[in-house]
Amino acid sequence: MKKSLCAVLLAALPAAAAWAEDRYVIGVSAAMTGPAAGTYAPTVEAMKAYLEHVNAKGGIHGRQVQVIVQDDGAEPSKAAANAKKLLAQDKVLILVNASLSSTYAPIVAEVKRAGVPLYYGGSVCPKDTFPPADPLQFCSTAFGATLDSQAALGFVQSQAKEPVRIGFAAMAIPIARAEIDYAEGLAKTLGMTPVEKQITPPPTPDYTPFATKLKDASPNWVFSWSPWVSQVRTFEAMRRLGWKGRYITWAHLNAEDELARVRDGEFYVLGTNAFFEDNLPVQAEIRTVTHRANLKYPVTYLTEGFIAGLVIEQVLKNTPWPPTPQKVLAAMNSLKVDLKGLRGGPLEWTRDNHFRTRQYYRVWRFDPAKNQVTRVQDWKAIDVKR
Amino acid sequence: MQLAVNIAVLAAIYALISCGYVLIYRVSRVLSLAHGELMMLGAYGLYATASLFSGHPLAAIGASALLALLSGILVYSALMWRMTGESVLAAVLATIALGILLRGGMILAFGTQTQYPLQELGWANASIALGDSARISAAGLALVGATIACYGGLFAFLRGTRWGLRMLAAGQSPLLAAQRGIDLHRTYALVWALATFTGGLAGMLIACDGGLEYTLVTIGLKAFPAALVGGLDSLAGALIGSLIVSVAEVLLIHYVDPLLSEVVPFFVLLAMLIVRPWGLLGTREELDRV
Repeated sequence: MKKSLCAVLLAALPAAAAWAEDRYVIGVSAAMTGPAAGTYAPTVEAMKAYLEHVNAKGGIHGRQVQVIVQDDGAEPSKAAANAKKLLAQDKVLILVNASLSSTYAPIVAEVKRAGVPLYYGGSVCPKDTFPPADPLQFCSTAFGATLDSQAALGFVQSQAKEPVRIGFAAMAIPIARAEIDYAEGLAKTLGMTPVEKQITPPPTPDYTPFATKLKDASPNWVFSWSPWVSQVRTFEAMRRLGWKGRYITWAHLNAEDELARVRDGEFYVLGTNAFFEDNLPVQAEIRTVTHRANLKYPVTYLTEGFIAGLVIEQVLKNTPWPPTPQKVLAAMNSLKVDLKGLRGGPLEWTRDNHFRTRQYYRVWRFDPAKNQVTRVQDWKAIDVKR
Repeated sequence: MQLAVNIAVLAAIYALISCGYVLIYRVSRVLSLAHGELMMLGAYGLYATASLFSGHPLAAIGASALLALLSGILVYSALMWRMTGESVLAAVLATIALGILLRGGMILAFGTQTQYPLQELGWANASIALGDSARISAAGLALVGATIACYGGLFAFLRGTRWGLRMLAAGQSPLLAAQRGIDLHRTYALVWALATFTGGLAGMLIACDGGLEYTLVTIGLKAFPAALVGGLDSLAGALIGSLIVSVAEVLLIHYVDPLLSEVVPFFVLLAMLIVRPWGLLGTREELDRV
């Protein structure tokens, strides 16, 4: 009996190994639960759904893509454990991070030990992905520190017919505070007058006390770059206090739906991903895939995840079989992905630039006269240089 | 004037939340660390009933209030009654476990997106002018009104009704109360129902003001210092504690640094613990037993 059991197990072992070897294995550590899940979970679900769609069409080089998602709840200790498991046990070719920046350090330490590329797909791009880039870290996420402020303040300057008195609002998290401090300095160099800066702690039961101080400084523009909750609630509180100025902020995943909900003609969002008002063929594909995968998120939330899926697909297409992390890394160091109109141009990575060589921005608002979300500024490019 | 309105709204939020902590602690000596989650459950209850009774906002509000009351009874009868006679620590740990369970369950049921119950009810959060120099949101005004009504109702209930007196008696001495024929389990179930109702109401109104999302749980914890400052076994203390914390928070945001708003409730609490550890209106003997 024992002998026959051993024989069965021995026979199964090579089969299991072959199963692991005849497919591409991608590992993901993401904030699927916890306070940040609203930002990251839709991206991961969409990326997974897209790669399943690729599998359904026959896979890449005839091989299936397996995505293993581990929830880190935006906790660094869980992220470290996930990275260890995905790298050592699952032998993933790429490790994807879609979580808070506090999870980066433990994951980076693990990928450096293993020599496996780390791809930020949905989480904020760290400095290490900008030129001169860290050899192992890559990013396709829409927002980019400093570039977003340049684009937003450039838009304010192009729209302003009178001297700009600008206020700033951000959530009290390191990345948002750093960006708003940068924007404040940049505003001065552009001839604007910064009048007030409000940093709200997360979470805040009532944004009115912060909005009161911001409104009392009488800005005619306010720029906010933070998680959506902080951006929109500060704006709504200011409006309820009777503020009449214009507000520009970052277009997160939910921006298109939120513009339609807020319905304010002077509330602008700046972003790099196309809205579904474009009705692109790729957006019809997103709808189909979303429907097939039975995703619980509105389709408008899923562009970022699709972009991550397109990037992974292209990386694997450019990787000769059999894949190794080194071959994947070589493919990622010279990559051009056609995003089919989901952004203003292709996403390009070079050996030196793992963010993208050019970032394209659009601006939208809700037009009360047309009763719909409208584009205020079409793609405007900013070159990403050293 | 606007600062006074801001203080009133923030104090109403803290007071409505902390009243649940106080009720449960005062009557059953249990510190409920699942209060933030129960508050969020109340808010999701409103969102669910608003979707269910589309076009009938009053029916949705009534159903969600009933759901909040029933959830409190369910929490007690399914979990907390088993903690009767156990150590305080065991009961507190049970509430922590309950909180984790509720959080996971709500994510599974409602997802991670921000929801807008007021929109589902078909109402708008209008801005109401209070004279020339101040404005308040409709939800903010409802929060202040609900807090006044809840505290007024609770004071009257505890002092003027048989069940209220039973609650006070059970809080003072469960053994003597039981010997006098008071059904402790029913009394505790009622207090959990009332605490979940007031917490749920706070959750519903906060969600109506700015949207419903996961961070509501943490807002529940932010009100805890207000309850401790006032005295964990005093409803009037919770009201005063909420006012003190809110005054400090709003004035520091306006005149010093907005970032201080995060630490000020805990700073006030620390100062109170040094000067009067049992809180402004709390009972010294009761604190010694914790």
